[in-house]
Amino acid sequence: MNAVDDAILDPTVGWLVLAAFSVIWIFLGWFWGRGSDQLDDYVLAGRRVGLALGTATAMATWVTSNTTMAAPQLALQMGVWGMFGYSLGAVGLIMFAPLAGRIRRLMPTGYTSGDFVRLRYGKTAWRIFLVISLCYSLGWLVSMGMAGGVLINALTGIPYHYGMSVILTICVGYTLLGGFRAVIGTDFIQALLILVGLVIIAVLAITTVGIDTIHSAVLEERPELLNLLMPAGIMFLFNNLLFGIGEIFHSNVWWSRAFAFRPGVGTKAYTLAGLLWAPIPIVAGFVALAVPALDLNIPAADMVGPMVAATVLGTAGAVLVLIMVFSALSSSLDSLLAATSILVVEDIYRRHIRQDASAAHLRRVTAWVIVGLGVLTWLLCAPRIATLAELLYFTGAFVASTIWPIAAGLFARRAGALGAISGMVFGSAAGIASYFAIGFYVAALVGAAVSMACVLIGMLLGSREFDWGRLHERGLVQAGSPA
Amino acid sequence: MTIPVGLFTAFIIAALAIVVAAPLILLSLWIADFRRGALW
Repeated sequence: MNAVDDAILDPTVGWLVLAAFSVIWIFLGWFWGRGSDQLDDYVLAGRRVGLALGTATAMATWVTSNTTMAAPQLALQMGVWGMFGYSLGAVGLIMFAPLAGRIRRLMPTGYTSGDFVRLRYGKTAWRIFLVISLCYSLGWLVSMGMAGGVLINALTGIPYHYGMSVILTICVGYTLLGGFRAVIGTDFIQALLILVGLVIIAVLAITTVGIDTIHSAVLEERPELLNLLMPAGIMFLFNNLLFGIGEIFHSNVWWSRAFAFRPGVGTKAYTLAGLLWAPIPIVAGFVALAVPALDLNIPAADMVGPMVAATVLGTAGAVLVLIMVFSALSSSLDSLLAATSILVVEDIYRRHIRQDASAAHLRRVTAWVIVGLGVLTWLLCAPRIATLAELLYFTGAFVASTIWPIAAGLFARRAGALGAISGMVFGSAAGIASYFAIGFYVAALVGAAVSMACVLIGMLLGSREFDWGRLHERGLVQAGSPA
Repeated sequence: MTIPVGLFTAFIIAALAIVVAAPLILLSLWIADFRRGALW
């Protein structure tokens, strides 16, 4: 067995890299956040984001611990179907493209996905949706925070709690200072760092070990990973496809971008982001398949990716991996903090507690909620409870049950509240039951199927036609603008 | 039914080629938006 410890960075080097990038992100957050006093500037970057930054932010946000941790882990569990299945997460981005354009047209003054569900289906469906969406957001935040601690520990030896605390503090810091403009701006740089880092790791894995050697070593030690008829892998493929669509269709992370993009940008940005994102899990998963060829002993499944990278690249390369990982996690954490904070402020605080709140007041509350979310995430990350993939997939049933209520709600006038409510409730229940009865790889599949049946039956039985004009709410009056 | 080495290699190389092209595409889009004053 190879001693992976030799390839792991010295903690001092790790701290220096973290400190350098922390200073850069915080400075950029402050720089881009100057003058973001208006609510729309702070939470939606003024609703004028162009194609380049729009594409990069969609892509970078979707590169999460999925690619850095779970994709390599799943490549070792599900083989080529695991890699290909993960890449189908891109279908969610591509399918959301037409929705993003329609959302921008139908709701030019909207803030959250909750706004849509409230106006489209009424308060009961809205509150159920909020529970699903907030649980998912928190689950994703926690999995990102945990991934940060685990990865930094695996690469640098810095204790889990220190690494997790650093990444959370930095992301809260620059999101707080610069709002959504800081999120979008840093996402562009982080997207470039992730892509360049991944290319270097994959090219070095190919030149060091060789594709032929990796293939033959896997064939000898784990032939099932190269089996094109692996049943669990095929189930995983469809499940991941639906999980990805559910995550994107419902989450305010993606809706807030649809609201923030210039008119006409959303459809192009999401399509291009999906096409560029699709090969990333394949390349990341391929790196993990080098484990048999490298004769590595993997102590924990979720450490496959960083351990292979550290073994292949050595000390200098491990610095690059750390930068890439830090970027991947930051680009998702900042987006989640920004999108979840406005979901809490708009759908809970404004709509339930202070209906007469001014835009300036909501701007201040959003900043406090960003800090609060950071603290809550830290508290939930502190006890490292589940493996990352388990945590990630537990939410699959819930989010997949929102696909049909959202899609039908945006395009079909006949879609009604009863179908949406029953779809989310029964879809989630059936998905969770299958999660425990069969396995994580079918939860989203079952959740989406049951939800689809409920929504379609509701449409067949319903007779009311929705007036799209009801989605166009009067916008909040921003300070300094005419009432 | 095992994936043959040739198909496996083509699959990985094709994915890698897109990952290599992606940063170049993003940078060219950024330059185009910057020139039009349409970054954000």
